[in-house]
Amino acid sequence: MPKVRIPPPYRGPTQGTAELSVEGANVLACLEATERKFPGFLPQVLDEDGNVHRFVKLFKNGKLLRGEALREPLAADDDLEIVAAIAGG
Amino acid sequence: MAGPTGDKLITVDMTKQSVEVADFPAKWKLLGGRALSAKILLDLCNPKCDPLGPENVLVMAPGVLSGTAAPTSGRISIGGKSPLTGGIKEANSGGQPGQHLMKLGIRAIVVKGQPADASKRYGLEVTADGAKIVAADDCKGMLNYALCDKLAKKYTKTASFISCGPAGEMRLSGASVATTDQDNRYPARHAARGGLGAVMGSKGLKYVMVDPGKGGVRRPADQKGFGELCKNYTKSYQAGPQMFKHGTSSVVPVANMLHTFPYKNRTSGQSPDAKTLDGARIVESFATRGGGMHNCMTGCIVKCSNIVHDENGTYKTSALEFETLAVLGSSCAVATWQEVAELDRACDEIGLDTIETGAAIAVLMDSGKMPWGDSAAMAKLILEEIPKGTERGKAIGSGVVATGKFTGHTRVPHGRGQAIPAWDPRPLKATGVTYCTSPMGADHTAGLVINPGLTPDKYAYESQKSQLVNAVCDSSGFCQFLQPTLDDIRAFYGALYGEEVTRQQIADQGWQCLQDEWEFNRRAGFTKADDTLSAPLREEPIGAGMVFDVPAEIIQQVYTRQAMGDDLFGAKAAG
Repeated sequence: MPKVRIPPPYRGPTQGTAELSVEGANVLACLEATERKFPGFLPQVLDEDGNVHRFVKLFKNGKLLRGEALREPLAADDDLEIVAAIAGG
Repeated sequence: MAGPTGDKLITVDMTKQSVEVADFPAKWKLLGGRALSAKILLDLCNPKCDPLGPENVLVMAPGVLSGTAAPTSGRISIGGKSPLTGGIKEANSGGQPGQHLMKLGIRAIVVKGQPADASKRYGLEVTADGAKIVAADDCKGMLNYALCDKLAKKYTKTASFISCGPAGEMRLSGASVATTDQDNRYPARHAARGGLGAVMGSKGLKYVMVDPGKGGVRRPADQKGFGELCKNYTKSYQAGPQMFKHGTSSVVPVANMLHTFPYKNRTSGQSPDAKTLDGARIVESFATRGGGMHNCMTGCIVKCSNIVHDENGTYKTSALEFETLAVLGSSCAVATWQEVAELDRACDEIGLDTIETGAAIAVLMDSGKMPWGDSAAMAKLILEEIPKGTERGKAIGSGVVATGKFTGHTRVPHGRGQAIPAWDPRPLKATGVTYCTSPMGADHTAGLVINPGLTPDKYAYESQKSQLVNAVCDSSGFCQFLQPTLDDIRAFYGALYGEEVTRQQIADQGWQCLQDEWEFNRRAGFTKADDTLSAPLREEPIGAGMVFDVPAEIIQQVYTRQAMGDDLFGAKAAG
């Protein structure tokens, strides 16, 4: 199963869980599977229209996904990392 | 070659009106910025002194890497005993003076004493020929922008400036120290927290002019290795997501989502105006108003600083940061970024910390003595009442606790007398532990941990880790927004001086900095009883019943060095 890595700012709904393996053939399916396990997680990644928030970046196996990131296929051994732009200032 | 040699330390005695230039101790070569400031203050400053009296010492110390070709490494630390917290304080800033001082080989300026005549104003001119105190009575009471415009005409085109505004001259505890940025030499960068502008003002020092002349980039011992590090680091950063390329203000929506975007004096962690305060709106405005993103200092690759224009396309302010939008904006129920831009400029002109000032006005509004969201009244208060020295103006300029006393209002969110930054300790409890234990008091740049899912057994560990990494970062000259790790920093240090800096050494350096600062505060009279936050944060919930409820025994664990592994060296500076 693909592995989903949760960034520290988004670990409220996951109650501290940093990574998990979920069933899903693409990025969106894996994010939705994470939401089913940890309700409240998905709105941190997707906006009301279902698009990736502009302050969120998704990486597949360390490579930044651009364009249609949510439709990107994920294989069983793939790694999906979520990065949230957040800092002080 | 052993790396940069011949460095100097300048000591200015404002009582005697004298300047001494001495060799910088070779054993301190890896001490810069915050760590150097702490070492100097522990040695030279009486921790029990009146922060606004002659015994306090003001330190201006660039980071170890400032003046080199390392990317985004030119920050300068301003240090002293804080009139706001009564403890040691370091606030650092971008802009050009840090780079310029280090190009002259000046590792620190130490300002002692106080002029006999408090009505006199002075400047300090620093060039390749040395340093001298000059009369500056003609600059008395000047706003920061007008002052720097005047100085730009007086001095060479290469000079940069450090200044305090009227708030500093009035010795108000919310006063900042301004530095000029790369473009146009505007005084738009501020070492803002802790009231160090008041310390500068108390010494009669209105400005410091630094002219690097022909001072070049500092040459590392291992030029090839250092060059490779710079190249690879820059390449790696630019290939990444560059999360701050639209500025820290782009954080607004996610902070709002996490209940850490304070609204109406922190009675809520979410604002109904988050969309109109979102930095994305500022970026959108570039197309019609002009402005844009830029680097505040030479060699910055992050370029997180926005230049904000008004509706006529005229420069208004830079940079309009997340913290300002949150505390000077949302917490006062100001609804739009345009209004906050006006207020940010007002604070920069008077020389005030936008966090402390915003928090103070939020208390004023919460007390019913000013309508929520009335940005016109806020601007008038900042630009007119504070310089006039009305009782209300002085209270606001002296910060959140002074405003609580002035109004009699009891909802005063603070830690050790300093206003809480936007990052709220109720959802972010490890950050709250930082606010309780950091020598800097409630300062997010001392150790920000944005992880609302942490379990209590990790609060002290994560806070200490972040405090240690940030202490090293703030000593290096690197900007926290570059997010360097300890491994990154020790690699640059190693190439700069041609010797290996081990993981143990760099970790010990961070820990020693904290030890020096905690020791200063112990001598100043702080005890465990001070390691807490004010009642509203402990008792008044936001979001789903969140209060700051971390037990004292967990908070105290920060003072015992935790065993840390690889995670310490890969942790990114965050503030």
